[in-house]
Amino acid sequence: MSTIRDIAGSQGHTTITGRSLHAVPAVPLLELDRLGKTYRDPMTLKPFTAVRDVSLELLRGEIFGLLGPNGAGKTTTIKMILGLARPTSGRVLLDGREPSDPASRRRLGYLPENPCFYDHLTPIEFLDLSGALFGIPAQVRRSRANELLERLGLASHAKKPLRKFSKGMTQRVGLAQALINEPTLLVLDEPMSGLDPVGRSEVKALLREQRSRGVTVLMSSHVLAETESICNRVAIMDAGTILEVGEVPALLGSGVREWEISLDRIPDAVAAAFRAAGHAMEAIGSRSLVRIVDGPALQTALKVLVEAGVFVHSVEPRRETLEEHFVKVLGLGKRERVAS
Amino acid sequence: MSGTIAIARNTVREVVRQKMVLVLALFGVGLLAASQVLSPLALGEGQKVVTDFGLAGSSMLATLLAVVLGSTLLHKELERRTIYAVMAKPIRRSDFLLGKFLGLWVTAAALVAGMTAMVLALLAAVYGESAWLLLGSLALTVVELGVITAIVVFYSAFTTPALTALFTAATIVAGHFADDLLYFASQGAPPVLARTTEAIYWLLPHMAVFNARGQVVHGIPVEPERLAFAGAYGLLYIVALLVAAGVIFERREFR
Repeated sequence: MSTIRDIAGSQGHTTITGRSLHAVPAVPLLELDRLGKTYRDPMTLKPFTAVRDVSLELLRGEIFGLLGPNGAGKTTTIKMILGLARPTSGRVLLDGREPSDPASRRRLGYLPENPCFYDHLTPIEFLDLSGALFGIPAQVRRSRANELLERLGLASHAKKPLRKFSKGMTQRVGLAQALINEPTLLVLDEPMSGLDPVGRSEVKALLREQRSRGVTVLMSSHVLAETESICNRVAIMDAGTILEVGEVPALLGSGVREWEISLDRIPDAVAAAFRAAGHAMEAIGSRSLVRIVDGPALQTALKVLVEAGVFVHSVEPRRETLEEHFVKVLGLGKRERVAS
Repeated sequence: MSGTIAIARNTVREVVRQKMVLVLALFGVGLLAASQVLSPLALGEGQKVVTDFGLAGSSMLATLLAVVLGSTLLHKELERRTIYAVMAKPIRRSDFLLGKFLGLWVTAAALVAGMTAMVLALLAAVYGESAWLLLGSLALTVVELGVITAIVVFYSAFTTPALTALFTAATIVAGHFADDLLYFASQGAPPVLARTTEAIYWLLPHMAVFNARGQVVHGIPVEPERLAFAGAYGLLYIVALLVAAGVIFERREFR
């Protein structure tokens, strides 16, 4: 079994009662307890474990990212949360209820991965169907459907059949149907998939807006740069297990990894000295980039550059990105599995 | 219940917006026109030809609609994963199946009712005859379509569209000959075979119960007792099949 690293996750909240300060555990909206799923090949009956021992708690009002490469077990985990697949071990509690209880999904919104909806319907008809499945009165669902189509930029396509929609437009319809019941928990499987940069930015704004309303979001994603900028906490999954879970800043650390100096073309003598000092160098067009890993070396390099009369355009500290961290953790996970 | 009705309404929309329904409806109209063309050859029995063609044709077309479209409805949901977004809503899988069943049944029943209305209109316009007794046969055909739709939904809960269509057709054909099975069992078959045949006899839908078409063509009305018996039998058969389908579908994994 692999080791799960829990990095500084805030598992409680602080309340002030009279003059005393207590840290009390917050009630999780979603709880996964040692969740596991093993499928059997229908022909050979050979077992395949898609998810093993996944334990997580989602607190109200956070955006939680479930990250992992293809086949990591993210979608299977989401299917078990929704009751689309039955766990072979462990359990899921959605607001205190088992997913087999339809009432557990009353305040849940779900966007499937690569969504495909009824292509004989128009968006307005589909949102009406979605609202009816939640038991929302006809008048309320009509007004919410119109608001959501407006909010997601689909108002002018409200009466166009869904079969004529592009991938990005279908993704927006998927988000609209996930929001029709004003959910307290949003489960989004790859919400950025198929969206252009403008679409991704709109979805991020929408998710932040939902968080500010107290909605909890669980999203799986491959687009790590987007995840980094909106998620409070992330879990990194691979081969069905969680390798690491925690708040994004805590996972990445606050330290500077290296400094990047952007300057005019570097004289040969200075370049040779930098190379000898072990600094990485790269020529980009008419400019050069020098990467320096520690502070004192940076001071020395800047002094050399000024003395040589080289124009320095910028000096930027570089921190580890979530993508770099993700690749590192996956590499560690693979090495651990090979070792065991 | 509102979820079931929403699924049923969506199923009606889905079926109605497929070209096949239009083709079947046009074919039905063509069939009635053909019966009118052939009626002079029937030596004064023209209205019988129209009634016979109309009732048999409408029942056949509605059965075709239920079997062909029904066998793919559920499979399409699973294959295209449209069911994922639906089942993430507060609805039971059995309610989803019930909605699919109701939607398909209503559409098939509407097709047969529409064609029967055309037969009535034709008989009134050409022969000046008010053949209201056709409504008894229509009621039985509607129950029959309910049984057929339930068989389709039952098989589609656990098998492929091709096998669903094949098994449904086999069950309907065997159901028409259910009485013959019992007759064969009573003709000195070994006890094990006789008991097995008898069990199959009770399991099969007795389709003959719902067929009063030959009777009404000859002007004999459907007795109220028969309507009540066929209605109760059909309803019981439908409920049993849908409960079994619900149990199977509840255990099915969405991969």
